Parts: sequence; structure tokens; C-alpha cells
Amino acid sequence: MDLDVVLTRSTNAAYRVYDGQATVVLPDGAEVNVLNEAGSLVWEAIDGKRTLRQIVESVLSVYEGKPEETEKDVLEFVAELRQHRMVS
Amino acid sequence: MYATPTDMGRSAGAVGSAAQAGRDFVPDEGFFARAGRPFGRLSVGLAIGPLRFRLEGLSPRQAEDLETRFSPFVGEPGASPDLTIDLRAAEVAAFLALPTDGSEIYRMGRRRTGARLSLWSYEFAGLLDLEASRAVLALVAPEGALYERGLENFLRAMTAAFILDRKGFLLHGSCVVRGGRAYVFFGPSGSGKTTVARLSAKDTVLSDDLTLVVPGEAGHQAAGIPFGMAHHRAPQTNRAFPIASFNRLAQSREVRRERIEGARAVAEMAGSLPFVMEEPAQAAAAIDTVAAALEGIPVYRLFLRKDDSFWSVVEEVS
Repeated sequence: MDLDVVLTRSTNAAYRVYDGQATVVLPDGAEVNVLNEAGSLVWEAIDGKRTLRQIVESVLSVYEGKPEETEKDVLEFVAELRQHRMVS
Repeated sequence: MYATPTDMGRSAGAVGSAAQAGRDFVPDEGFFARAGRPFGRLSVGLAIGPLRFRLEGLSPRQAEDLETRFSPFVGEPGASPDLTIDLRAAEVAAFLALPTDGSEIYRMGRRRTGARLSLWSYEFAGLLDLEASRAVLALVAPEGALYERGLENFLRAMTAAFILDRKGFLLHGSCVVRGGRAYVFFGPSGSGKTTVARLSAKDTVLSDDLTLVVPGEAGHQAAGIPFGMAHHRAPQTNRAFPIASFNRLAQSREVRRERIEGARAVAEMAGSLPFVMEEPAQAAAAIDTVAAALEGIPVYRLFLRKDDSFWSVVEEVS
């Protein structure tokens, strides 16, 4: 996936954040998942304005890690969100 | 305008044969406009926790049956009920085709058009007009198991939707009152909800399948409802009891419990809310409501086996 892409959260995925962790309802309502703190940070940063590159930089500003590994983790996570139609 | 008996007869034949042939019949809004005649002219009021429903179009037999079966919950709903439900004869054999493989998966279709929500399942189809606080409920049978299931399932869906506005929720769980406190046991089908209720015969079983949770003066309470049972008779009380704990059931050889906290607790509970998670706005309101309830009530994962030894763990003070 291109790091310059800008994604938007699905309006069909309801969510709330409690204690830094997002509780997310999948679009068909069949499943409710909890994202860990890093996942919640990425989820909230997907706002239709920021590129994935900027989101990776946001994660790196909060969590220590090698840029290439963080980039890989974010891309894998976003691919999973797309698979569940939670972002587009 | 309602259809003439001749028109309904033609419609019933077409629909009935479709469902009986194993195909689903999806009622459009035109179906509700044509829906059949009321069963009768009587009405009955129901008090479901803080909600007041009025059922209209009942036959004398249906009204008498409701007053008996739902006894503690029957009462005058007042001038402005939360919802008035107009019962009608569907004059079709079924809406969703019954499963032929013996599976017990309950299916329900839904369609939202502005302030109008249509729901349909095997034995009923209902159209709710949220702005008018009125619903039309078409039932495939005037009495018997299909009638009871259709009516109760529609009431369950309406309760789940309307109770959110009162900061409460309907949970897929059983509830047992012991020592004046309510213990709620939840989880998917097969997790042990009914077993827990059956193993608590000396206590007050408020529900074995669906539990109504409502805010009270000193925290959230579990309220008796007439259609929370899958295998027991309706409880003989409409009282509400303070909730001691929510327990997510898990089968195990070892009886123990673990505290679930924060977002995980909210997610476990929200995943057990029937009827209200399909629409994003309603789902968001539901998880907010659950989170508010959990501010004062602990959630546990309860590992249990099929005997009453779980009570020694459940009653431990956290």
C-alpha cells in the first residue's frame, strides 16, 4: 500500500475510546473488537486528512521503534481494517 | 388503505407458497399498508421496566392470554405510551423460510427508511414509525407457538431499541436474584446462561435468556420482563434489583473468575446486545450506555462447570 494514501474511517463502524483503547463495532454489527493503544492511535488518526506516512510518524512520536518496522506494522494493521471494511 | 379480503387472499397465497417453498419473503412498505385486519378490538398495556407499550387490535382470547401470561407486567400504559403496537393478521404462512437443517440460528431482516424501521422474521413482520411512536405488527398466526414467538420477538426488538433512550439496555444474558442482589450471566448461545438459571432453582430467576438493565437511584438494576425467558415461565415479579456483577460465562473444569476491565469489559458486554448493533448511531449509543453502567458494576469472566459450585465464586466480595 502506498504510504501517501489518505484513508477514511467507515461511517458504518461505530467506536468509542475508553482508557486509550478503542472499542469498535464492525460494520455489520456482528462483532465488537478492542484495539490496543497503538492500534487505537492509528484508528483515530485515520481522519480523511492525514497520509499513512504522517500516521506512521505519529506512532513513532509516541512509541519507540525502528521506522521500517513501525511502517510495516501500521500497513499490516490498516490492511486488516480495510479487509473488515472499517476504512476505505 | 387496507386491502379487500379478496386481495389479501391472493397475496397470502403467493407469499405463503414462497415461504413454504424455502424462499424468504421480504415485506416492502406496501405490504404493511395492505396488512390484514386486526384480530379484534381490545387493547392491553404493558410495563417493561420504565417503558410503556400499548398493544391494540387484540381478540378477546389474545387479551385474556396476555393478561394471564404477562400478569405482573400488564397495566394501563397512560395517555402517552412509548409505543403503540397495532396487531394484524399477516394472512401469510411465513416471512422468512424456516431452516430445514434443524439449526436454531434465529434470523431477522431489517430495513431502515428515514424514521421508519421494518423488521421481519419467520413468524412476524413489523413496521415501526419512530416519529409517530406507532408500529404495525403482522403475525402469521392468531394463537399458539407461532403467535407467541412472533409477538415476543417483536417486543424484544422494540424494548432493545426504546430502552437505549432511557439509558438502559437489553442484554443476551440470564439473571438470578440472590439475597436481594441481581447476578447477570451473559455470553453467546451454549455458554451456560440457561444452565445457570436451572441450577439456581431456589433463587428468583428474572430471566434465562434476555435481561433488561435500567438505571436506578443507586446504580444500574436488572428488571423483570415478561419475555426474557427461553426455557422458564415469565417471572412473577416486575421489580428491579441492584446488580452485583456481570459475568461472562466460559465452560471449564475449574471454577474461578477473572475481572475484565476497561474497553475489554465494554466490548464483551456490547457484543451481547441483541438487535441494536447493526446501525452505527444506535451501536455508539449502546456502547456508551454499557460503559456508563459499568462505572459502578464489575464484570468478570466466570469459568464454570455444570453444577452450582459457581455460586461460591460469584458471591465472593470483590
